[in-house]
Amino acid sequence: MMASAILLALIGGLCVSLSRQLNGRLSLSTTPMVSSFWNHLVGFLALCTIGAIVGGLIPPSAFSAPPYAYLGGAMGVIFVAAGNWLIVRIGAVATAVFTIAGQMISGVATDFVHTAGRIGWPSLLGATLILAGVALSQLRPRT
Amino acid sequence: MLPVTPSAKSQSYVLYAAAAFGAGCLLTAMLKCNADLAHSASALFASFAAHGIGLVAATLILLALRQRPWRAGSANAGAATAKIPLWAYFGGFSGAATVMATSIAANSALGLAGTLALGLAGQLVFSLAADMWGLMGLKARKLSLYDLAALALIGVGSLTIILEAGAGT
Repeated sequence: MMASAILLALIGGLCVSLSRQLNGRLSLSTTPMVSSFWNHLVGFLALCTIGAIVGGLIPPSAFSAPPYAYLGGAMGVIFVAAGNWLIVRIGAVATAVFTIAGQMISGVATDFVHTAGRIGWPSLLGATLILAGVALSQLRPRT
Repeated sequence: MLPVTPSAKSQSYVLYAAAAFGAGCLLTAMLKCNADLAHSASALFASFAAHGIGLVAATLILLALRQRPWRAGSANAGAATAKIPLWAYFGGFSGAATVMATSIAANSALGLAGTLALGLAGQLVFSLAADMWGLMGLKARKLSLYDLAALALIGVGSLTIILEAGAGT
């Protein structure tokens, strides 16, 4: 049970990078926005199919969410297009690592604001390590 | 093999790194929206709605940019535009699979923090393999010791934050 959960979590991460690699390949032959369009069309059709098989795609409580929650989809379009633009220029590792760094630092910053500065030292240590890593990657000699 | 943008000079590399960092900040806002949607409805509905709204948004942006989804763009004209492998269109399947795998894992004993930490590992391992061998027709890249040291610092820092969040709840 635990082993299959661990495997699923690893596969989840792998799929994030795989989808970025596939979208990057498509954007190489088209444009980053065209590739983002196909990503959302194919994903939407896949989820419709899953919904048709499993059922319960639109639960009764679906429209009780706050309106801003629906903006996530529009942000996703920009996020995928940005990944497409970047992966062909700086590669998979750099795209993944800088995106993770931005996600973690903005997450800690959000917590910092919400708790009025009362966040634990591990978060501050983690953020410092991430920023050190970002700084270090900029020192790399490039040809 | 495929025509790829020439390797970035250090100045533009800083711009690309900043753009990726900004995309990561956008991801935080996006995940908050999608999590709130999943909380009100379900994980499947959240992903369905996000993809549906994303599809509408992408269509509007393409219309505004006057780009056609079925015709190759001029950005990388040449051999790469001649034939696009069918699998290059399957990124969306992989995205849909991510939603299912992570929402099952997050509801197990692993919790959200454990799922994020293992997801991080999955991303880094696949990206390393992708750059090393140039998977899916993208350019292979050699990583320097600087890259690996930076990757280790960012990985350990991220784990520290994720695991603290897991211990707190």
